[in-house]
This record gives sequence, structure tokens and C-alpha cells, in this order.
Amino acid sequence: MSFQVGSIDRTFRDELEMACNVDLDQCWECGKCTGGCTTAHNMDYTPRKIIQLIRIGAVKTLMSCNTPWVCVSCRLCVDRCPAGIDIPRIMDYLREKSLAIKDHGPGVDDIILFHKLLLEEVYKRGRVSETALALKFNMQTGQYFKDAGLGQKLLRKGKISPFSSKVRDLNKVRSFFKQEPDRREV
Amino acid sequence: MKGKARKALVVGGGMAGLEAALKIGQAGHEVILVEKEANLGGTALLLSSTFPKWQDPLEKLNLKLEQLKKLPAVEVYTNTEISSCTPNGSGYSLTLRNNLTGEETGVEAQAAVLATGFDYFDARKYGEYGYGTYPGVMISIEFEEMLREWKKGLKREKAPGAVAFIKCVGSRDRIKGYPYCSKICCMYTARQAGMFKELFPQASCYVFYMDYRAAGKDYEEFVRSVMEEKEVRYVRGRPAKVLPYGGKLMVRSEDTLMGVPIEVEVDLVVLAAAAVPKKETLELAKSFAAATNQHGFLEPVDGFTAKAGTRVFFAGGCGFPTDSAGAQQQGAAAAAEVIALFNQD
Ligand SMILES: Cc1cc2nc3c(=O)[nH]c(=O)nc-3n(C[C@H](O)[C@H](O)[C@H](O)COP(=O)(O)OP(=O)(O)OC[C@H]3O[C@@H](n4cnc5c(N)ncnc54)[C@H](O)[C@@H]3O)c2cc1C
Ligand code: SF4
Ligand code: SF4
Ligand code: SF4
Repeated sequence: MSFQVGSIDRTFRDELEMACNVDLDQCWECGKCTGGCTTAHNMDYTPRKIIQLIRIGAVKTLMSCNTPWVCVSCRLCVDRCPAGIDIPRIMDYLREKSLAIKDHGPGVDDIILFHKLLLEEVYKRGRVSETALALKFNMQTGQYFKDAGLGQKLLRKGKISPFSSKVRDLNKVRSFFKQEPDRREV
Repeated sequence: MKGKARKALVVGGGMAGLEAALKIGQAGHEVILVEKEANLGGTALLLSSTFPKWQDPLEKLNLKLEQLKKLPAVEVYTNTEISSCTPNGSGYSLTLRNNLTGEETGVEAQAAVLATGFDYFDARKYGEYGYGTYPGVMISIEFEEMLREWKKGLKREKAPGAVAFIKCVGSRDRIKGYPYCSKICCMYTARQAGMFKELFPQASCYVFYMDYRAAGKDYEEFVRSVMEEKEVRYVRGRPAKVLPYGGKLMVRSEDTLMGVPIEVEVDLVVLAAAAVPKKETLELAKSFAAATNQHGFLEPVDGFTAKAGTRVFFAGGCGFPTDSAGAQQQGAAAAAEVIALFNQD
């Protein structure tokens, strides 16, 4: 795979730098972000590589890679970055942008589905019911018997409940949402 | 006043100050050389060897000290600091204080050369490296002492099986306030790593680097020989964390050439702490009205190379980190400017 470095247009990068309040020219390509990252071993592209991909304008790769979805926003990278680059903010931005796109890789689509289902649960009940969430996710990804054994064990020990409870003041939780979670694709 | 012998003050008896004192003295002027430690020599006294020629730093130092002894016009005050300095139009009225006896001496000088060297970045500011917390983490100047002992054949049985060197600790870090490159740590790290492997060929030795900077006569060849002949492993990445790991230390980094996170297990971690200005030099600069840059290193004015104010000059690490040859050259340059000034008085 080769990237067309010479012919890139800077629009994507400029918009990202503005929105995230970062200056990617300051990156030293040192990898300190990656070395401390909680989940780098599960990423298609390490955080340092994400910065590079933005700099060379590889938008397609950025929109389809799993990195932003694997990032858990722990902020260890910014804490240690010698240039103070706010990588989790960049990951947020990439998530927002790539949500508008249909076709991610299969792994990524599942992660996005999980995010949406989780938000929907929070919107509906003000909290997450693990049982309902796991069931919905497994059904929609065609993994009908996944977690069935484990689920039974947890049920028996009272660690999860088949009933989903609501929080008392649901409206308070809902006020965190700008809008109702988008359910069209769910 | 042409042709009349005048007096210069030199503060700091490291490579730079020694060279300045020698040259001013050899030109026929009087010199007061003030050194706060008990011995002349500065940082060179602490080094186990030197790049780029693996020379014993004491060889050159002793040569300089012998030359100095032949110059009765150079008065040496060790264990001494400047306790007050008042510019008086044609120079400075000074009080020197002996740190052991408390004795004070008043002197006059028509020019001053500041040659006080540099200090080290406080590596505790990088909590992630555990300096000051894990006993196996030290800064380079502390590692020199171990190298000196091993070189003498002492304590070799306690030598570590694996060492990791981390470069640019504090340097090239905007957030910590030191965006500049400290210039010499790439070279001395190569020398320390090479020396360690020379002493213990069976041991493992890693150098974590962002860049290796070897711009100097024989420098590139020196670093390559450390990689190729001494077989020191260079890993490109700035480590993110040092963790205690079953009595050892684990260094976490990205191998940026492979693009993957890596972990390396070692016994000792050596941090190349940034060279930063000494606090006391900043105070000296103020009392001599010498110019400094935004970081606090002395700065040349008026198109000179070693002049920082009307009658104040500087040389060596207090201007910016430099190798020992550079310190010596700057000492000679400061001397030339002092001699030229005296000649015009
Ligand atoms: C870990 C390490 C390894 C190095 N290895 C090499 C190498 O292999 N090869 C090489 O070429 N260079 C090497 N260097 C660099 C070299 O040590 C320096 O370039 C050189 O010693 C600088 O000389 P200087 O005279 O400027 O400062 P220094 O040697 O530090 O001398 C400054 C002197 O001023 C005195 N002083 C400070 N403040 C005052 C005060 N207020 N009043 C009176 N006296 C004062 C100090 O006590 C000291 O004696 C290394 C440096 C370090 C830190
Ligand atoms: S830690 Fe910061 S400077 Fe280093 S590669 Fe990551 S983003 Fe760039
Ligand atoms: S915030 Fe994301 S990218 Fe940064 S260290 Fe945490 S998981 Fe890694
Ligand atoms: S000399 Fe080398 S180790 Fe020192 S700051 Fe510069 S690049 Fe980093």
C-alpha cells in the first residue's frame, strides 16, 4: 500500500487542527504516546502513526482504521507527549467524522454498533443494563450463542439481572444528550 | 594606559575557565581564577573517558594545570565564590568569600569571564521514569562514577546485565519548558554505552533515541563504531514508562521504525538529563549585567562571540552545552576578547 504524499490536500488536516486545537507540526515522531498507550497493541495504527496519517492526508485510512474506536480516552498519551498534542481529542474527532461513513472494516463496524447500543441504553434507562446490552449486541452481530454460558453463570451468582431498572431522574441523564441517539442504523 | 598590565576575573575553573585564565595570563595580564569547588577541572574531573577519541579527560586537564602553575600572575582561589560585585565604570569591585573559612577578600578587576558550566534538568519531573524512586534509575553524570570504578577494576561483580539509556530527558520537550537540544548527550551517551559494552561484552545495552546527533569532527564515525563494533542496540523511540518488574526494570516504548509498542527488561536505566543553566549563574549574570537568552544561557552581544556585556565575557557550558573541545575554544575566544579590550583601554 502506498500513500500519495505529494498530491494531498490539507483541508482535512486544517479542519482537524482547528477543531482539536493542536499543531501537528510540533510532533517529534518520538512514539512516547504509543509507548504508554493502554490499548496500542490492539490498534491498526499506533497513536504516533495516526498523527502521521493526518499529516500525509491519508483520510480514507483514518476513516476505516480501528484506532479511534480502540482508544479508551485514558489521556496517558497527552500527559507524556513532549509537544502536548491532545491525541484523545483527535481520536474523538476521528470518531465523529467516521460515524458519517458507512463502510468501516468489519471489526470497526461492530465497535461502532456497540457504542450506539450503549448510548441508546443510557438514553432509555439512564443506566446500562449489561444483560440487555450484551443480548442486543450479540443478536445484531449474529453471535447468537456467544456469552450464553457465561451469562447463565453470572445470572446464577446474581452478578447480572434479567430485569432492567431505570434511574429515578431520567430527564437529568437525558439532558446530557444533545439529541436522541441516532437509531436509523441500529 | 596602553601596555599596562590589567586584571581579569575568571569565574569557574573547568575546561573553559582554565583556558581563558591561561591565555589571559600568557598575554601578560593578571588573572584571579575563582572556583567554588576544592579542585580545578570542573566536569572533566567526573568523566570516565571522552568522545570522540576515548581519551582520559585527566590527560588534558593535567597539562593545563601544569601550564597554569608556570604563570605566577594567575592567582587561584578554590572553595571560593563571588559574594558581591559592583560595576565601577572601568571594571568591577568584588568581594570573594571562601566557603570553608568564611574569609572575605576584596579585589578589583577590569574584565570578567564567566565560565561556570551548566546544570542538569531535574529528572524527577518525569514521574514516568521513576528517577529518585527506583534505585536503578540514574542520570548520566551519576553513571560516570560507576564507569570510573569499573574501569579501575572495582565493583565489577555488581555490574548490571542489561542497561537502557534514554536520551532527550527534558530536552526537546516543550511542555517541560526545554524545547532545545542539549547538543552533547547523543555523543556522551554513545560513549557511555560503548564503554559499558567494552567493559562487559556479555551484557545487553540499548540506547533509546529520537535522533542521534553526531555533527562534529570524527563524531559520526565514533557513534557508528559504538553501534557496529561495540554492538550497542539503538532503538528509535522515546520511552513512555519505566516500571519495576520482578527486581528489574521494564522500559516501555514504541519502536518507531517497526511501529509497534515494545518492552525491554533491564537492570539499570541511564537518563541523559538536559543541560540547563545554573541558578547561581543567572544571579552572577545579573550582578555583572551580562545578557542571557530566554532559557537563561549567557548570550553574546554587539556581534561578538564571547562578550555578554560591557566588560563581561563568557565561555563553555554557561553559554550553551558544549563538548570539552568547544569549551576550550570558547575559553580561548573569551581570552582574545579580554586581551583586545585591555589593549584598547
Ligand atoms: C555526563 C557527561 C559526559 C560528558 N562526556 C564528554 C565527553 O566524552 N567528551 C567531551 O568532549 N565532553 C564531554 N562532556 C562535556 C564536557 O564535560 C563539558 O563540555 C565541559 O566540561 C564544559 O566545561 P566548562 O568549563 O564549560 O564547565 P565545567 O567543567 O562544568 O566547569 C565549570 C566550573 O565552574 C565552577 N563554578 C560554577 N559556578 C560557580 C560559581 N558561582 N563560582 C565559582 N565557581 C563556579 C564549577 O564548580 C566548575 O568547576 C560531558 C558532559 C557530561 C555532563
Ligand atoms: S508523543 Fe507527541 S510528539 Fe511524540 S510521537 Fe506522540 S504525538 Fe508526536
Ligand atoms: S487516550 Fe487513547 S490513544 Fe491516548 S493513551 Fe489512552 S488509549 Fe491510547
Ligand atoms: S544531543 Fe541528542 S540526546 Fe541530547 S537533546 Fe539533542 S538529540 Fe537529545
